[in-house]
Amino acid sequence: MPEVKSMFREVLPKQGQLCVEATPTMVLCKPKLLPLKSVTLDKLEKMQREAQEAFRQQELAQKEQQPQP
Amino acid sequence: MGLDMDPLLQAWSYFRRRKFQLCSELCGRILEKTPLDQAAWSLKTRALTEMVYVDEIDVDQEGIAEMVLDENAIAQVARPGTSLKLPGTSQVGGPSPAVRPITQSGRPLTGFVRPSTQSGRPGTMEQAIRTPRTAHTARPVTSVSGRFIRLGTASMLTNPDGPFINLSRLNLAKYAQKPNLAKSLFEYIFHHENDLKNALDLAALATEYAQFKDWWWKVQLGKCYYRLGLYREAEKQFKSSLCNQDMVDTFLYLAKVYTRLDQPITALNLFKQGLDRFPGEVNLLCGIARIQEEMNMTTATECYKDVLKQDNTHVEALACIGSNHFYSDQPEIALRFYRRLLQMGVYNCQLFNNLGLCCFYAQQYDMTVSSFERALSLAENDEEVADVWYNLGHVAMGIGDVNLAYQCFKLTLANNNDHAEAYNNLAVLEMRKNNIEQARALLQTASNLAPHMYEPHYNFAALSDKVGDLQSSYIAAKKSETAFPSHADTQRLIQQLKQHFAVL
Repeated sequence: MPEVKSMFREVLPKQGQLCVEATPTMVLCKPKLLPLKSVTLDKLEKMQREAQEAFRQQELAQKEQQPQP
Repeated sequence: MGLDMDPLLQAWSYFRRRKFQLCSELCGRILEKTPLDQAAWSLKTRALTEMVYVDEIDVDQEGIAEMVLDENAIAQVARPGTSLKLPGTSQVGGPSPAVRPITQSGRPLTGFVRPSTQSGRPGTMEQAIRTPRTAHTARPVTSVSGRFIRLGTASMLTNPDGPFINLSRLNLAKYAQKPNLAKSLFEYIFHHENDLKNALDLAALATEYAQFKDWWWKVQLGKCYYRLGLYREAEKQFKSSLCNQDMVDTFLYLAKVYTRLDQPITALNLFKQGLDRFPGEVNLLCGIARIQEEMNMTTATECYKDVLKQDNTHVEALACIGSNHFYSDQPEIALRFYRRLLQMGVYNCQLFNNLGLCCFYAQQYDMTVSSFERALSLAENDEEVADVWYNLGHVAMGIGDVNLAYQCFKLTLANNNDHAEAYNNLAVLEMRKNNIEQARALLQTASNLAPHMYEPHYNFAALSDKVGDLQSSYIAAKKSETAFPSHADTQRLIQQLKQHFAVL
């Protein structure tokens, strides 16, 4: 089989006009692995959500009470 | 029920089963009958504290005020490798921003977020003010105490009769002499009421009563000083406490002080001292790894591996090593770490998103889409949904389905209008369709939203260069160079532009 291998040789011209074109392309931002959350952060966020929920419910309750009298 | 349980015993049982609301209500009823019942009073303070308790070691938020008006800085420009504030000055060898995305503060994206990694120390006032609108994960709070005060007022709202203990009417000196009551009262004041002044008073009186021999009170004093921003005083208390008794917690608190004072080397030495006393302590090892990661050191992964040798279920270490492998072009190995996390029972949007990405890049296509589907169904807020769609956009680009990618990035923006990366990638897709004006607008939005990323600046420079607007191109290329100095394409573009200008 050595003959077959020698059949396919790359051709690198050393004379004549050479044209090298490297076109810089635009870059994409990379895929983003999402960081996992620590237990503390999870708890803080949960507490904050619950506090906001409690606050909203209280506001709703106040609104319902106001128009009646 | 023929037999009634003794109410106090029942309350205690509720407390042990972590039913704090029921416990607190029951104690309240006991206290209505016998207002001077110290056991019930103390149990109620403990139950109320447990409801809002967060580990003080992990809580570390720097507000804008603390960051910009930093009185503790010793030198304006720190020497290389001695500061956490300027990632550029640390030792070289960190991952390149061409491979691993960076956060607002210029650090590579980490695999794990804690409250302290959220703030991200912006360098200038301008950046600090702009942050809240740009990056969801790098959000500074206006002041350290802000979040705690908000949580405090919320807890008051839920008690219509007013707070359980009226702190201003409390005779702290009397309580300080009763060690059993004082400790639970202190924790209540510190964690539930967040009234640092009273907490500090109580701790000072109690440590005096204990003749300055009780390490616990000294640590509490240090915690109060730390929250008040008096770091040197806090350091003194923690050191004094270590003279009385070696505790892992105290080492961690002290290291936190040094980190805040921007003395990472001292903190690292302290951790090493701690490891001499407590060989193989996971928290201390993890502290070392965190500091090394913040200083962009390549050795951080080794440190996280040390952590895993002691505790092979450590979520933070697994996540950090996993993300490090992913961004160093080994998604197969990253996949094994994330799979391990899944086996351990971590079940959330972030993990499935990461699994999906790792599967795709490790050429396990069968699992990719189902992982992302699950991530979408587990997402808790719009930002998370946006991030998952953003990554799906990459998968679509990878299989060559440009239309799908386009839709994915559009969906990202529909869920989170401030997603700079998605703006940039949409602009690249628009450029492929030769919609130059739209691409230009998208790139401008992206670079306004995230001036720390080099991609939108570079793309804008390349685009302007193409249409012949050399001045804009040069300005954008310069910005790209500051964001990522060793980017070869940027430098080539700048050289070209300089030649053009020289000819003119």
